[in-house]
Amino acid sequence: MADEGSTKTQTAGVTRRVVLATGAGAAAASILPLDESAQAQMPSAHVETGRKVHLSALINGQRVSLELDSRASLLDLLRERLGYTGTKKGCDHGQCGACTVHLDDRPVSACLTMAAKIDGRQVTTIEGLSTGQDLHPMQQAFIDNDALQCGYCTPGQIMSAVACVTQGRATDPDAIREFMSGNICRCGAYVGILAAVEQAAKVMEG
Amino acid sequence: MPSQVFPEIARVDARDKVLGQALYGADINLPGMLYAMLVPATIAKGRVGELDVRRATETAGVVQVLSIGDFPTLRPEISFLGQPIALVVAETIEAAIEGAEAVTAVYEASPFVALMSSPGAHRVPAEGFSTGDVESAFQNAATIVEGTFETPTQHHNPMELFGTVAEWSGGRLTVYEGCQNVDAVKGALAKALNLSPDAVAVKSEHVGGGFGQKSPPKIQTALVAQAARLTRRPVKLVAPRGQVFHIANYRPRSIHNMRLAANAAGRLDAISYDVVQENIPDGGFRSTGYHEDIARLYAIENFRATAADVHIDRQMPRHTRGTHPFPAGFALESLIDEMAHKLGKDPVQFRLDHQAKKDIIAGQPLSPHFLNDCLTEGAKRFGWSKRVPEPGSMRLDDGTLVGFGVACGIFGASMSASEATLRVRANGTTRMISSGHEMGQGMLTAIANVITQGLDINPDRLEIQLGDTTRGPQIATVGERGTASCIPVALKAVHALRAKFEELAGSNPPAGNLHEQLARLKRPYIEVTATELAPGQDPSALKAFRSGGRAGAGPDYPGFTSMSYIAQFVEIHIDPMTRRIRMPRAVSIADIGRVVSPRTAKGQMYGGVVWGFSTALREETEVDPRFAGYLNDDLADYVIAVNADIGNIDVGLIDQPDPRINSVGVKGMGELVMLGTAPAIANAIYHATGKRIRKLPIRIEDVL
Repeated sequence: MADEGSTKTQTAGVTRRVVLATGAGAAAASILPLDESAQAQMPSAHVETGRKVHLSALINGQRVSLELDSRASLLDLLRERLGYTGTKKGCDHGQCGACTVHLDDRPVSACLTMAAKIDGRQVTTIEGLSTGQDLHPMQQAFIDNDALQCGYCTPGQIMSAVACVTQGRATDPDAIREFMSGNICRCGAYVGILAAVEQAAKVMEG
Repeated sequence: MPSQVFPEIARVDARDKVLGQALYGADINLPGMLYAMLVPATIAKGRVGELDVRRATETAGVVQVLSIGDFPTLRPEISFLGQPIALVVAETIEAAIEGAEAVTAVYEASPFVALMSSPGAHRVPAEGFSTGDVESAFQNAATIVEGTFETPTQHHNPMELFGTVAEWSGGRLTVYEGCQNVDAVKGALAKALNLSPDAVAVKSEHVGGGFGQKSPPKIQTALVAQAARLTRRPVKLVAPRGQVFHIANYRPRSIHNMRLAANAAGRLDAISYDVVQENIPDGGFRSTGYHEDIARLYAIENFRATAADVHIDRQMPRHTRGTHPFPAGFALESLIDEMAHKLGKDPVQFRLDHQAKKDIIAGQPLSPHFLNDCLTEGAKRFGWSKRVPEPGSMRLDDGTLVGFGVACGIFGASMSASEATLRVRANGTTRMISSGHEMGQGMLTAIANVITQGLDINPDRLEIQLGDTTRGPQIATVGERGTASCIPVALKAVHALRAKFEELAGSNPPAGNLHEQLARLKRPYIEVTATELAPGQDPSALKAFRSGGRAGAGPDYPGFTSMSYIAQFVEIHIDPMTRRIRMPRAVSIADIGRVVSPRTAKGQMYGGVVWGFSTALREETEVDPRFAGYLNDDLADYVIAVNADIGNIDVGLIDQPDPRINSVGVKGMGELVMLGTAPAIANAIYHATGKRIRKLPIRIEDVL
């Protein structure tokens, strides 16, 4: 989880330990725009290219305000600028679902979403689904039903699965299978994924 | 003595994975990091005449361009489409892409062979195999079935792309990359960059799926490392999926001519088998490997195999999940079904009647196995007895054609010499330094189960380290030998630690769990290192293991051969109007020896059926004969099974140890689990329609 100490030192000299701690909380460290002193210490960090756009958005409940290359995808913004590496790149073409995030509560492929388009909007990634030690019921259901193997598609599966339930589409096994078919799991954990969505739907719908 | 039955525990890395906290190679972000993009050759064969990188260099944000002559692997000679001719390094991904697109090349193109069927393609024979008297068996045969079977070029397509992060510090290189063989990558990097191996570290703690694709070292890894060396900044490359199709290895197209003879008593007597595959000259995927496993599946004494390659001008094909026994098994299991039908026998009973006890390749006994138990258990769970034998005789009320199919699979149970270091501390933590790669198969969970069953420790504070060359030598996690290699040595370490503790504590050990006991004995920790060899190995194998050499053995060990087995049953529905093929349910039962991690093993069993379905009905890489490149090089056009394709799957494991192979009796399963599905589907389609489809993937047009 984020320790305040790492926040300011992120760009100045990240140890491997800090890098490996990059996850839900540590990601918050790099959300803060670089201050002058940090830029002086590492002038090569986060040099933006191309036509720059300014954007301000709420990501996992935190205000993010920064300049970036107008060509950047939301996926690359999340992963490379903000450290939310839970969102995965599997195809970069909107074909695999590994980068599924919620944009204003709707599931989208972050790779097909221009980063500039999220200005003024809210994004939730896998890191923002739960807080502290508590898991979202869908995350717990994925563990309980072993709905994963390598884990690479898992964050995207879970974000789609949450949307499947909140959009009222988890009505029967075939409806769940259909909804979840935009998320490829190459390890083939589909049986577990179906069971996980069924379990979490009961909890989420009370 | 074989171990006890293992209880089911949850996947130990599941929590990190559902939180998005498990870190894969490309998830590493380092300060000042640059981004790279490859420039692929646009011809299949020839030379780069001129390469113009001026516009790339001038692109805003581009820091460095490596091109022909800047590194040994950036060669002017082109041998496959997509071969990297330059690497552009920039401040952002966007600038790297823009720079890479600005590189232009003029080529001197040469004629090339794209396909096995291209003009100029010819057969290059390989060594054959023969045992018994195949000639006279066929002369005296009462019944012969034969066919030509084709399996397509297929790409592994794990969800994780090729992601590499390279960082230099004080003359030492660290590379983060998802791979199945960090030691091989380390060796290749040391060689390519002229470094002492001690100066190279490769870290691959989580792998986003391997399936064989991430086993050999990759051409781009050393390029990224060189770029980081030149720029003095860390560099990240994530190769786009379309490029991965052209630089990754793949399953080669193969054609199998197989004949099967039965004698007057209705017993299988001989197999004559010829295989030809696409390959590159001196390719690493042998055409001589196809017959080796399937020749051990049934009691058939006479076997003759011939093999050949057809040389093509594409990148190198390699092992892909199921590897040789998958296409070979598709041919054999289809013909067994055909023979059973021709003889008027039930396909399950026909297989039961031919239980193999001898390995005709090595000329020695097979270790006792439970294939027949897999078949009978599977038949029971599936409801095989409800099958009406006549093809086309089973239909639903709406006219949907129903087919039941069965097929088996076999894969060699190999092992590697291995080492493990286990330390239990008084502070409540436990650390195991093991060897291998966690790719989702559940290796970490299996090791954790061995430790927590054997020692009274705090399971939540157990750390298992592997997939990192700085931890010690790491076995190549290939050919389903990972678990069979690390589990026996883990058990040995547990026993050694217990013995060491008993010696320490004497006859009156203090109360509490192991951590508390150590604290009461005022011992900060207790540590043991254990080593294990495969049957018949001498200590030189351990030396090879420690120096990154070949430390594997099996499946033929001195005096016996050990194999893993599976029986799979599928129900196929074919829509009467559209002929769409669906698989509403499947049953899969395997003999993988002792099951060490029931939950993750079942996960593999489910996934294997999905893989099998996908290879049978979906996947084919389309080679464009005009360019020797891949037309469907993305995940929309290279169709992979999705959730809606998969119906109910029931899986089971026999869980009987093979006491001869290792102390736990565990065999591998990662390749095995997909082997029977495709032939079972083809056999079910025959049962539904009366049509024998002898090529994969099977499409709607094949059942019109």
